[in-house]
Amino acid sequence: MNNVEEKLWNYIDGNCTPGEQEAVSTLIAEDEAYRLKYQELLNLNISFSAMELDEPPMAFTYNVMEAIRTEHAQNPLKATINKRIIKGITLFFVITIAVLLVFTLTNIRLSGIGVPANVISAVKIPDIGKYTTKPVILGFLFFDLVLALYLFDNFLRRKNLQQQG
Amino acid sequence: MQSKLSDIELIQHTLAGDQSAYTELVKRHQRFVFTLAMRFAKGREDAEEIAQDCFIKAYRSLASFQGQSKFSTWLYSIVYTTAMTFLRKKRVDTDSIDDENVFIQVESQSSAYDVNDAENKSRSFYLNKAIEQLLPDDAAIITMFYKGELSLEEIGQALGMETNTVKVKLFRARQRLKEKLERNLKHEAKELI
Repeated sequence: MNNVEEKLWNYIDGNCTPGEQEAVSTLIAEDEAYRLKYQELLNLNISFSAMELDEPPMAFTYNVMEAIRTEHAQNPLKATINKRIIKGITLFFVITIAVLLVFTLTNIRLSGIGVPANVISAVKIPDIGKYTTKPVILGFLFFDLVLALYLFDNFLRRKNLQQQG
Repeated sequence: MQSKLSDIELIQHTLAGDQSAYTELVKRHQRFVFTLAMRFAKGREDAEEIAQDCFIKAYRSLASFQGQSKFSTWLYSIVYTTAMTFLRKKRVDTDSIDDENVFIQVESQSSAYDVNDAENKSRSFYLNKAIEQLLPDDAAIITMFYKGELSLEEIGQALGMETNTVKVKLFRARQRLKEKLERNLKHEAKELI
């Protein structure tokens, strides 16, 4: 860097320490070459400060806000739903399940006193063995496969969107 | 009403769902952002695309703005990265801008302007022409320093550079700008400087 110009620019910009500032002030006052250089840089500084900013097109703000509105409109519903609503629904189900559980537990008679033995033996558990045939199992596995592929595809799409974002 | 609010207050209003507050922010900063984009793009259409993209990106990330720096510093850092990405996409060789051939081309363009329009012979016209011939980084630093009301530290934050690096770059950019001005104006330069 040109040392003289560097010092003078620092002086003009006000980036000097008090000591440096005093030294440069003295040099400007006493040295003709310094004074001329200082005057030249000062004039340049005034010219640079007078530069004009470019004017964007008239519709610039409108275009920006329109692009933002369009982006908002394209957001999927699940992204725009207020999370408080989801939390509220979750809380409602949790409380309901908890109340039902407490109610059920308080009404269970573990000893089985008062329940006739023939009532228990009269309850018939359906035999599901006859429904688990080979086509049913194959159908079930096929359904699982399709579901797995669908979820995997969803996962890849989301990952892709995150990378683009 | 909103024009009296500070940038931070407008951001808070925007985050609370008031889009008109962001409109005010765009209006407030659009001239500078557009000018800065022009320093990189060298064409109004491209600059408009960069500036628009920058405001959209800023809107998307508004919630992550910590308020530790000025909004303008944060916004200009987005302009810089957006412009760099844009230039990379366009495969513009920024180094070639300083080539002699390009200079001759620009010079001949300015000669044409000289003949056609006496009004263009203003101080800012020649200054803008000289700025156009600078490297994008030099032009951006000079614009930020003189028109962005940013300190060297803030320019460093916006460009991701050390303050001393910005100081050296600013010094060199001013020298180059002075040379370009002198070359362009020849005799007229003496009136300016």
